[in-house]
Amino acid sequence: MIRGTRWTTLLAAGILAAGIAIPNMAQTQAQTRLATVYAITHAKIFTLAGAPIDDGTIIFRDGKIAAVGAKAEIPADAQVIDATGLQAYPGLFDSLSQMGLSEVAAVSSTVDSTETGDFNPDVVAAEAVHPASEHIPVTRAAGITHALAVPGSGGFDSGRDSGVITGQASAIHLAGWTMEEMLISKSVAMGLDWPTIETRTFDLSTFSRKDKPYAEAKKEYEKKLDELADWLERARHYAQALEKGSAARFDRDVKLEALVPVVHGELPVLVFASRARDIRNAVEFCEKQKLRMVLAGGDEAARVKDLLKARGIPVILGPVQNAPAREDDPYDQPMAQPAELSAAGVKIAFASFDNSFARRLGQQAAVAVAYGLPYDEALKAVTLYPAQIFGLDRELGTLEPGKLANLIVTNGDPLELTTELRFLFIKGQLTSLENKHTRLYDKYRNRPKP
Amino acid sequence: MSVTKRHGNPLVLALGGIFFAIFAIFAIFAIFAAVPQAAAQGGEPSSFAIRGARVVAVSGPILEEATVVVSRGMIVAVGKDAAIPSEAWIIDGKGLTVYPGLIDGLTDVALLSAGVAPGRLAAEISPAHAPQPAASGPEDRPGATPWRSAADEATLSDKRIESWREAGFTTVVAAPKDGIFPGQAAVLNLAGDRPGGMVVKGAVAVPLSLNPVGSFRSFPGSLMGVLGYVHQVWLDTEWYKQASAGYAKNPRGQARPAYDRSEAVLQQALDSKALVLIPANNSVQIRRALALAERWKVRAVLYGGQMGYETAGEIAAKKIPVLVNLQWPEKSKDADPDEPPTLRVLRFRDRAPSAPAALARAGVKFAFYSGAISAPKDILKAARKAVDAGLAEDAALRALTLSPAEIFGVADRLGSIEAGKIANLIVADGSLFAEKTKIKIVFVDGRKFEIRETPKPAEPTKNGPTGEKPAEEFALPMAGGAQ
Repeated sequence: MIRGTRWTTLLAAGILAAGIAIPNMAQTQAQTRLATVYAITHAKIFTLAGAPIDDGTIIFRDGKIAAVGAKAEIPADAQVIDATGLQAYPGLFDSLSQMGLSEVAAVSSTVDSTETGDFNPDVVAAEAVHPASEHIPVTRAAGITHALAVPGSGGFDSGRDSGVITGQASAIHLAGWTMEEMLISKSVAMGLDWPTIETRTFDLSTFSRKDKPYAEAKKEYEKKLDELADWLERARHYAQALEKGSAARFDRDVKLEALVPVVHGELPVLVFASRARDIRNAVEFCEKQKLRMVLAGGDEAARVKDLLKARGIPVILGPVQNAPAREDDPYDQPMAQPAELSAAGVKIAFASFDNSFARRLGQQAAVAVAYGLPYDEALKAVTLYPAQIFGLDRELGTLEPGKLANLIVTNGDPLELTTELRFLFIKGQLTSLENKHTRLYDKYRNRPKP
Repeated sequence: MSVTKRHGNPLVLALGGIFFAIFAIFAIFAIFAAVPQAAAQGGEPSSFAIRGARVVAVSGPILEEATVVVSRGMIVAVGKDAAIPSEAWIIDGKGLTVYPGLIDGLTDVALLSAGVAPGRLAAEISPAHAPQPAASGPEDRPGATPWRSAADEATLSDKRIESWREAGFTTVVAAPKDGIFPGQAAVLNLAGDRPGGMVVKGAVAVPLSLNPVGSFRSFPGSLMGVLGYVHQVWLDTEWYKQASAGYAKNPRGQARPAYDRSEAVLQQALDSKALVLIPANNSVQIRRALALAERWKVRAVLYGGQMGYETAGEIAAKKIPVLVNLQWPEKSKDADPDEPPTLRVLRFRDRAPSAPAALARAGVKFAFYSGAISAPKDILKAARKAVDAGLAEDAALRALTLSPAEIFGVADRLGSIEAGKIANLIVADGSLFAEKTKIKIVFVDGRKFEIRETPKPAEPTKNGPTGEKPAEEFALPMAGGAQ
């Protein structure tokens, strides 16, 4: 990495020249446009599209991978990074997050993750994502190069009921000055917070648990479900009217319009459900309504693994280092579930469902490996599989020519906590790993000693 | 004069027949008058003799073919050869068993405030129902109405009185509800001309609830707050006692101790040896309550006790009596069918009825109470469950009669069939714990109540007299949780 260091030096000099760095300095100067052609040489390359290449070269130009292989010709204008002894991987994908939608959960003015009301299909996450969020560089430093920002994924944080249809999930790069720079796809899924038969509720007025009779809870659930079915029905009529385009006067409705790709089966529904019964109900409903379902959360997904496998429904799994969903479950149920699902042939991906803890994505997968998930599956569950699940695998997920150059160069296994991340590229641009954590580290390291 | 001889006497039989005829007339009159008590007052004699019955005295051995003589509300004689006064109505006890009237060890049956929905009327009865200003600490005495007295709030208009009586309960230990110091419990007989006549003994106990009464902004909002608060109240009460005594002796030159109603009444109650009833159902609660009893230096009685199967030995070591809630934990009818109960809950449901047997084995004094059981016929059924789980029948009976009388300090007048005790009796056609047994007659304070063959369906099960609110104060949470 002879010539590679030049860039860092330049950037460092720049910051020094500017005097005291303002907090967002690193953020705003995260990417450089000094070179648009890079060649990473002598790396062990895990393309995830075949066997690893022991001593290979990756060449990317204008944000896209141009060549990957043992003997790729290095263009004359390429910035060369010698990665001898290092390893290259596709950047990790946090496939369900609150990235950019929420900054400090306890400060409501910084939370923009949930819209009021039960049915908000027109809401698009990308429009709310804050490019200067401090969580973005922190997450990036963990090797995560892109993420899905999902409305309504932070129901508890926002202190609001996230409703039923929470809005459209957007795929974003974890770097950029503006949303336009960050955007991968504005709409990759429609969030659907599955209504549950909730007999245990929390009464905020008395601040205590309150048990609701089952019959009452079921009635409320059925009412919500009817409402949901009604929305979809109206969206179908709307779609028909749109296609004919003949109506003399056609009332446009942003909500119904947003549901059209859903009822056409083009846009998957990202169904938040955790209990086995809810998952079964959701699967049945989506099948009846001919919706493409992706399960999110799925604390008890393994209980219905055969159903998920039979219907080809993938699962976005939340943090695995949790207590089991039920008191009598084995202690390792959340950790062992990914392996169980994978063995049953269910496609899984890991996701943080969060912002500040998104950086733990790799460890999430690693813990699942410790509890039986094959390593390759774990790695793909944070790279290729989420890209496939959300229809982004033509652009992301592996290191293959034509795909976006979102990749990381490390000194080891990216799922391993102690591995150091050396270089991170987003859209083919070398991106700073500095973040709030490193700034705090430096600040306190340089504190005068008494 | 043997019993068999008397049986053979045609004159007596004839007299008996006449008495029965007279009684039948009165009974019909009573039904039409719809006020049995009034009829009883007007027409019934003050003396009865139950003859030739099996008598389960509880305080002594079972007597076969014995006679119990009741006069002016008292038991005057018990025995095989008890003399029958000439004015006594004779009840042929052949094939019948006489038991002491049952005592419900803790309930709100017969109280004016029971089941009253929060509102203006309720607020007049119980300040705890009135909207309370936010409390910021123990000094504001949140949820404290220790001056409320079950003796004062006793009412004959509670429809449950009749149904409780029909199930064999002649006496209740009634306690006001709501708040942390809801008031003072009293021993009440379930009959009388006036509410005051029901009172056997007032101020027998100060029940506590440890449920936080506060909310977000009001103290106490947590269990630890409640515990700190209760402790402070005991300390203040003790201080009040000493300070006011000292001041009374020598007021000159001394600042007068500030009057505090709670402290004043609690001091009075504790001085007259009132018990302090501490809620404790699961093992955590029980162990905590044992420690609290020591710290607070009060005459403690635990109520709940359903996990006594784990902690009987520890309770026995402290020599603290227990009131066992007979409302055993069960699956709720409203439960989510897809939500299986946890093993912990299943184990508790399975083992709770064995708690009385465990307490008995360990030598703990315990009594039963109805908890939130709303149909009184279920109370004996629940006691039967304890018998099925290993409790001896006589121990179960004792827990419904003499033991509660002993715990609440009224064993000198209630709880067994002995001459000199209050004539609270039940006459049944078999063992009280046998499935098919019917209670025929109940005596309360020597008043005779015939139990109709087909008792009307029990009172609207979950309701108090006004049918507004379930009486669930003494129902304790399940095994779960640390509270």
